[in-house]
Amino acid sequence: MSKKTTEIQCAKNRLFSLLNCVPYPFDGVKNLDRIAKKFSKDSEVRALCGPSISIQILSSFTTDYLVDYLLMMFARRGFNASIRAIEYGKIATAILDFEHELHKNPPDLFLILPSYHDLMYRPALGSNFDESDGAVNKEVAFWNNLWRQLPAPAVQLSFSSPIDRPLADLDGFLPGGLTFHSRNVNLGLGRICSSSVALIDTELLAVELGLTNWDDPHTYNLCKQPYSMDALPIIADTLAAAAQGLLGKARKVLVLDLDNTIWGGIIGDDGIDGIQLGPETAEGEAFTHFQQYVDGLRQRGVVLAICSKNKFEIAEDAFNNHPAMILKSKHIASFVANFKDKPSNLKQISSELNLNLDSFVFVDDSPVERELMRIKLPEVLTIELPENPAFYTQALARSRVFPLVNLTPDDLKRSCSYKLRSQANQVMENAADMDSFLKDLEACAIIECFDLSNKDRVVQLIAKTNQFKLNPTQFTPQDFEFDDRKVLCIRLKDRLQDYGIVVVAVLRVINATLQIENWVMSCRVFSRRLEYFTFELIVEHACRHGADEIELIYIPSNKNSLVYEVLEVLGFTKNTTSDSFSINVKKFKQDTSFLPHHISLIK
Amino acid sequence: MKHDMILQILTSIFREIFDDDELNINRETTALDIEEWDSLNQIKIILACEKAFNVRLKPREITAMENIGDMIDHLSALVGR
Repeated sequence: MSKKTTEIQCAKNRLFSLLNCVPYPFDGVKNLDRIAKKFSKDSEVRALCGPSISIQILSSFTTDYLVDYLLMMFARRGFNASIRAIEYGKIATAILDFEHELHKNPPDLFLILPSYHDLMYRPALGSNFDESDGAVNKEVAFWNNLWRQLPAPAVQLSFSSPIDRPLADLDGFLPGGLTFHSRNVNLGLGRICSSSVALIDTELLAVELGLTNWDDPHTYNLCKQPYSMDALPIIADTLAAAAQGLLGKARKVLVLDLDNTIWGGIIGDDGIDGIQLGPETAEGEAFTHFQQYVDGLRQRGVVLAICSKNKFEIAEDAFNNHPAMILKSKHIASFVANFKDKPSNLKQISSELNLNLDSFVFVDDSPVERELMRIKLPEVLTIELPENPAFYTQALARSRVFPLVNLTPDDLKRSCSYKLRSQANQVMENAADMDSFLKDLEACAIIECFDLSNKDRVVQLIAKTNQFKLNPTQFTPQDFEFDDRKVLCIRLKDRLQDYGIVVVAVLRVINATLQIENWVMSCRVFSRRLEYFTFELIVEHACRHGADEIELIYIPSNKNSLVYEVLEVLGFTKNTTSDSFSINVKKFKQDTSFLPHHISLIK
Repeated sequence: MKHDMILQILTSIFREIFDDDELNINRETTALDIEEWDSLNQIKIILACEKAFNVRLKPREITAMENIGDMIDHLSALVGR
């Protein structure tokens, strides 16, 4: 091996270990400043990261500390950046001066970092909304003009809100408030930013980090940097991610493992009915949320692929037949399930989709698979997934691996479903009053047969419910083996969500009286008038079994007063001698006066 | 807090900022003795001290400190309070 090759190999090893120090996401990584310093000092390593890019910073504050982080974050995202900055506070004058270096010798990319001090037309206190709109338009026109003079694409921080808000909460809502003004200018800039300017939502960035780690007046006074040192890594990374999007270097494909990544459990062992997915359990809920997020990515153009160690037929069956699956087979561009090693499978996916390995993001719950992928295919970006599935979405989102700088019709065409979006919009538009809101949700109830598959959920729902619950009576699965007991289980679904089993009523007919031994409803479906719907079903059951009285025992606790109100509306009367309440079925049918529930029944 | 303990913490801060695990400092060390100790690194040192000792230094106090000895005396007074 020649000396040169050895040197390159050494640099490659240094790069590999440095990159591993800053995983995706890098939350909680210590000594980032030291790692950044290593990147900034090691030009050999940076040269290995990707194509050179010259960056011009235009800013309203000191960026000396930011630069090291920028070098690191751009390197990590595949750029060998060289950065120059001009003295702070000269954004507009530099852009408008055509003799300036930035016009004579334009960079590949601008980073524009203004602060709220750059807002020039802030309306006076007491201005009206029209005046405020006028001021916003002026600011936006000013920036529009600046952007048009730029000789290269730019990533720009939108205006962050000032921490001192003399108008308190109204600062963000009232003309004359600086927060109000800066927010409106941001919205205005968002409307006009073209394919050559990517705008960062600075306010959201501050929220993500928390305000105490964001603004630092002490640092500002010392060195004219308004942000805390702890905020610099995330600012640098967000800018680098946006640059990737802007320059067409964003990754395109999300490759997902299956078991314990998009559902809980091992489908090969647990079977399709045994995996955790859907609203019945906390774990299932977590995976549902993750699938929703992934599906959202798909709808805006991220291509999905599956890479799993499973039998293909078993894996695919879950996609087609598990009721809680949000991702469907038709959404998956490449579906690989076999027992080969994952790097080989990923190469296969890459050639199937005809995309380079540096277009791929790999998500797998197994640290071993992740490590193997990192070693064998370092071009693939491997997400460091936390152990708790509740945080999968956050880990993927904070990795900023799919930056979006503007949404094009092409992005949307890549997905096949506009449906959910338009449905949600319709609900929002029509939600003027409760009645039409409920109507628009198109809720339907499904009566589930009580059986082995849902017995645990039923028992658990009765035990766990505190608010809508008649009395403390609990049941074991064996209690339901009596033939004269009927367990009414209702699953609720609307156009937006499947809530799973949310109502259980235990019914028993004795001597022409229907006894409701207990009746519970999950708090997630309160205010949906589902209790009226349920009661109609109970009355129907009574009629079918020749009962003309319905009786129940209500025992007040400090949480279940809601039930009492419902009993009153339904027309129950309390028996003077005991805790029991009763109602005559015929009488109920005559004078039903409660509100319509708009829930339809699916049998 | 004892002075030698403060010096120990300061040393580790300096080693981190100047990325040099061999770096040694003493009471007499000033910005002139360390090549990379410029105004930018000065602020990094200040902010790192504030974090490590959980104190806030006032701008006037910062300008008054001329060498490591001053820093140690000052931090020891603040931490001891």
